[in-house]
Amino acid sequence: MAIVKFFATLRDITGKREIEIKNVKNVGELLHRLYEIFGDEFKNEVEGRNMILVNGRNILDMDGYKTEINDEDIVSVFPPAGGG
Amino acid sequence: MMYGYWGKILRVNLSTGEIKTEEFGEDFVKKWLGTRGFGIHYLLKEMDPKADPLSKENKMIFSTGALTGTTAPTGGRYMVITKSPLTGYIAIANSGGFFGAELKMAGWDAIIVEGKSDKPVYLRIEDDKVELKDASHVWGKRVGETEKILTEEFGDKHVQIASIGPAGENLVRFAAVMNNGHRAAGRGGVGAVMGSKKLKAIVVRGHKRVEVIDRSKFISVVREKTEILKNDAVAGKGLPSFGTAVLVNIINQNGLYPTMNFRYGQFKYAEEQSGEAMAKKYLKRNKPCYACPIGCGRVNDTETVGETEGPEYESLWALGANLGINDLASIIEANHLCDDYGLDTISTGGTLATAMELYDRGLLTQEDLGDAPPFRWGNTEVIHYYISKLAKREGFGEVLAEGGYRLAEKYGCVDCFMGVKKQELPAYDPRGAEGHGLGYATDNRGGDHIKAYLISPEILGYPYKMDPHDISDDKVKMLILFQDLTAVIDAAGLCVFTTFGLGADDYRDLLNAAFGFNMSTEEWLKIGEKIWNAERLFNLKAGLNPLEEDTLPKRLTDEPMPEGPNKGHVVRLKEMLPRYYALRGWNEDGTIPGEKLKELGLEEYI
Ligand code: SF4
Repeated sequence: MAIVKFFATLRDITGKREIEIKNVKNVGELLHRLYEIFGDEFKNEVEGRNMILVNGRNILDMDGYKTEINDEDIVSVFPPAGGG
Repeated sequence: MMYGYWGKILRVNLSTGEIKTEEFGEDFVKKWLGTRGFGIHYLLKEMDPKADPLSKENKMIFSTGALTGTTAPTGGRYMVITKSPLTGYIAIANSGGFFGAELKMAGWDAIIVEGKSDKPVYLRIEDDKVELKDASHVWGKRVGETEKILTEEFGDKHVQIASIGPAGENLVRFAAVMNNGHRAAGRGGVGAVMGSKKLKAIVVRGHKRVEVIDRSKFISVVREKTEILKNDAVAGKGLPSFGTAVLVNIINQNGLYPTMNFRYGQFKYAEEQSGEAMAKKYLKRNKPCYACPIGCGRVNDTETVGETEGPEYESLWALGANLGINDLASIIEANHLCDDYGLDTISTGGTLATAMELYDRGLLTQEDLGDAPPFRWGNTEVIHYYISKLAKREGFGEVLAEGGYRLAEKYGCVDCFMGVKKQELPAYDPRGAEGHGLGYATDNRGGDHIKAYLISPEILGYPYKMDPHDISDDKVKMLILFQDLTAVIDAAGLCVFTTFGLGADDYRDLLNAAFGFNMSTEEWLKIGEKIWNAERLFNLKAGLNPLEEDTLPKRLTDEPMPEGPNKGHVVRLKEMLPRYYALRGWNEDGTIPGEKLKELGLEEYI
């Protein structure tokens, strides 16, 4: 079981700060599962651009959507964001 | 006739009271573009870089940028350029709000302030009418009250004011110049320089329209770029909704949110002080600067201070996690106090964090503090009490007012100070973004993030994602590009947050449309490179020893990050720095060779 954390606008869309997800192999599968659960609004927010971390490491520095997800991993999902 | 600028500079000598007008032509714009460019030209030409920053020999340039006062998105910025009393090198502080645009609309592109007044004065500008006026009645007053009194005195609520608070008057080495209450030309102690000159404020009202060469062409380019920003997920949505504080959770989750003076990279209570939490609990509305379609500014409302602005991400961190403090309402209050006393929030927080580290190690003791609150991690009493003490240089505040470096040195632990070139570091632990660390080490104004924000590619993924632990030449080249491009954006008078939506070609389009030039992106970037090198030249002349001072605190290069996603990492600065010098075309010792200066057209400044 992995923990998925939501941030910024995704909290309003999902109404949640985090959920637990079982039986997903990688980030791509996880996203599909999240699209099923939270629908188009969620999908539109993250499909084009996003920031996804697995245990604090950006998936773009690992295997992208093929990055594996294991039990007890923490996945952080952000919409595109910036600041400074 | 000139476009974008008036070609007019105001020279004010505070020693003699003389006020003069000087002119410049299009060549000067093509050479230096604006703000930092204009500023470094005058500093290199007219002052000894070795001069004491708080003496009458130091000069202060308040300059608008090329697009300041036009309708270009975020085109309202001005910069203060002078020699820093904190670092002893160049200070280049940028501020938004409405002051810069008003100055341009009054018919002035820049103001050179020189000499020193015997008694407190302020500069009053109403279009062509410029006079120095007595400021004894506002000397000692905080920023909010100063603005209120001077606005009433002027009798026009549209007047814009850049002023210092008690911190600047008392020569606190990290005092800021403030405008619109909460907008700061914050870093490097520019407020102390203003205080040393006994110049309390510049009050300006303008009624002129800034002209561009082809109005309809310019408007269409502005529309196009504004649309890009409005439709951008970050500039058009993220920043307006959560402000820069949206970064708290991002940087914390990525494991580089400096906690307790950079001991750790994650703060247990980050969630409670995040942009999300702030939006829920205290946010009333957002507040944009002049001509800004983004509007990252926050208006918050808390029980203790009522309506106030900020804190933005850096301030929130400096007065929060860096001190182990988690109470958001206390942080908002501390930020309000810094603004009102006229203090740079990053250096204020960094100095207090140094004190906490020294106290924790038993190097600074309660005996040194007397009845004042102990510097314990997480002690909220510390921020409110010591901010006012240091702004007034009272009690232990006298020591704090000198900044973190001098504090750490006094108590025998220079390594307890987390800064570069004596300036406190901002809110990213570079052990989680090594290119950003190289940026800290090589920044002309010392510990600083905004002159080359490599967090963008390394963490946020703009313009594309780079691995934060990649230290290849590509990374070094990206840093150099960011340094040069930021110099162009600054000199154009635009806000760096536009970079989340715009690229180098977009700035080229805006600049060319305003002036009717036909310059390529490369040519504009070359001006950025020239500015960067000229600032470096000033520092070298001021006595910079690159191999000793283009560096980072030992904690970041020698002590691996203890936990989190970046566990085990340090910044491999030694591996990057020689390549940075080489790719800049500099000598191995970090000095600039004559041929490079010549290539950039800087021979006349050597
Ligand atoms: S993005 Fe923020 S700081 Fe920049 S001009 Fe707009 S409101 Fe001001």
